[in-house]
Amino acid sequence: MQILGIETSCDETAAAVVASGEAILSSVVASQLATHGRYGGVVPELASREHLRAIVPVVRAALEEAGTRYADLDAIAVTQGPGLVGSLLVGLTFAKSLSFALARPLVAVNHLEGHIHAVLVEARRSGRPVDFPALALVVSGGHTHMYEVTAGLGYRLLGRTRDDAAGEAFDKVAKLLGFTYPGGPVIDRLAPYGNPRAVRFTLARMKGNPLDFSFSGLKTAVLRWYEQHELDEEVARRRKLVAAVGRPTVAQWLEVTPQRTLDLIASFQWTVVEELLRRAAEAAEQCGARSIIITGGVASNSSLRREAASARLPLPVHFPTPHLATDNAAMIAAAAFAKLSRGETAALSIAAKANLSLA
Amino acid sequence: MPADLIRTGSEEETVAAGVELGRRLRPGTLVLLIGELGAGKTTLAKGIVKGLGAAEPEEVSSPTFTLIHEYGEPVRVYHVDLYRLEEAAEAAALGLEELLEREAVVLVEWGEKFPQLWPARRLEVRLRRLADETRLIEVRDPAADAEIGD
Repeated sequence: MQILGIETSCDETAAAVVASGEAILSSVVASQLATHGRYGGVVPELASREHLRAIVPVVRAALEEAGTRYADLDAIAVTQGPGLVGSLLVGLTFAKSLSFALARPLVAVNHLEGHIHAVLVEARRSGRPVDFPALALVVSGGHTHMYEVTAGLGYRLLGRTRDDAAGEAFDKVAKLLGFTYPGGPVIDRLAPYGNPRAVRFTLARMKGNPLDFSFSGLKTAVLRWYEQHELDEEVARRRKLVAAVGRPTVAQWLEVTPQRTLDLIASFQWTVVEELLRRAAEAAEQCGARSIIITGGVASNSSLRREAASARLPLPVHFPTPHLATDNAAMIAAAAFAKLSRGETAALSIAAKANLSLA
Repeated sequence: MPADLIRTGSEEETVAAGVELGRRLRPGTLVLLIGELGAGKTTLAKGIVKGLGAAEPEEVSSPTFTLIHEYGEPVRVYHVDLYRLEEAAEAAALGLEELLEREAVVLVEWGEKFPQLWPARRLEVRLRRLADETRLIEVRDPAADAEIGD
């Protein structure tokens, strides 16, 4: 059983072939970072245009790498949402056309469910399968959501961000301080040079659902610190460095970043990781989880991985390998396998849904 | 309409001010939410969305990454964030004009970066952080101000 997965919900055009929901035969991602880096983010019109340009070669490359042909595919899987409608439409329309032309079923997948399956598929392959019920934390630039995942792959939303996503907080703090986009990897690489307990940020206390997240207050606290410490000059130096060299190395960043700013960065990251893991542990306990899944782009953060793997979480924690943490199509094809075995196929009339929810 | 000035002392009060404002907005209204990082734009948007009966405040989050969030079924509020964009052409490519023709309120954060994009008929809401929790919110209708000026 071979499934072709297609993912175009945001800034990546991706296609993959997955056999029996387990063996990733190919996973091609046409990273658009080169285009978006210049704009500090995802530009929708550019994104749609880039997806249009990339979709045919990316799908072709996925088939070639998998050593398969259209005729050998058993189903076409595609991300239906959430995401940018214009971007989603490119993948969805292409998938519908293939489904119709090849007379193969179409399977519509929620992007967040895909991120969870990125971990499930790898865990199965490694012989260390995820024990259910599991607590899944999906954490990226656009999402910070926690779900209970049952053995039958049912989902229950336990908490989510009320304002900024964790990855967005990384991006905004990095931009404020004159670092490059995306902010997560830069902060992750510089944080080890600072003291994570130098600046004591207040952890968010949530009214209502205590398992919800909030990163807006932390962002404002960093801004206040910035204002109090007159960072304009060093930020200008970093912007000049970026203008001169594009993507600076760690050594180049360190030359234009004083110790107190490294301390600030380390403290900021420490606080984000603390917020994520503290609530994940609470949520896992509340739903009686037997394991924890942490997935999405921020799951690549080395401090988050280190802290989660330390004794502080009382359950086995599963992370995706880095190439499956960020957006990809293998996770979409893997999620589709489970849906297909339950007979959950989609009509060709389905629409892209910007705010599609998982539970 | 003369400028309204509202002072709020907490996040809850900012949401409540948004609810009041939302109740007065008619479909097709464009609202620019103007204020620096952390001024409370998304917090006020939570209230406006609630006041329009499109969603609960907890469901409204920052659209920075995805650029546009939609609330209500059919959509009654588009919540747009231009923080990441650097050129007016990119912002224009979002199809905001098309959104304005629909029967929905369009809330735009960081819209003041591209003044050339906006029609005269709009509301401008300015948020200022006075202290940690205190915000000053000013609601203005620039078209009405111009008429008074004439």
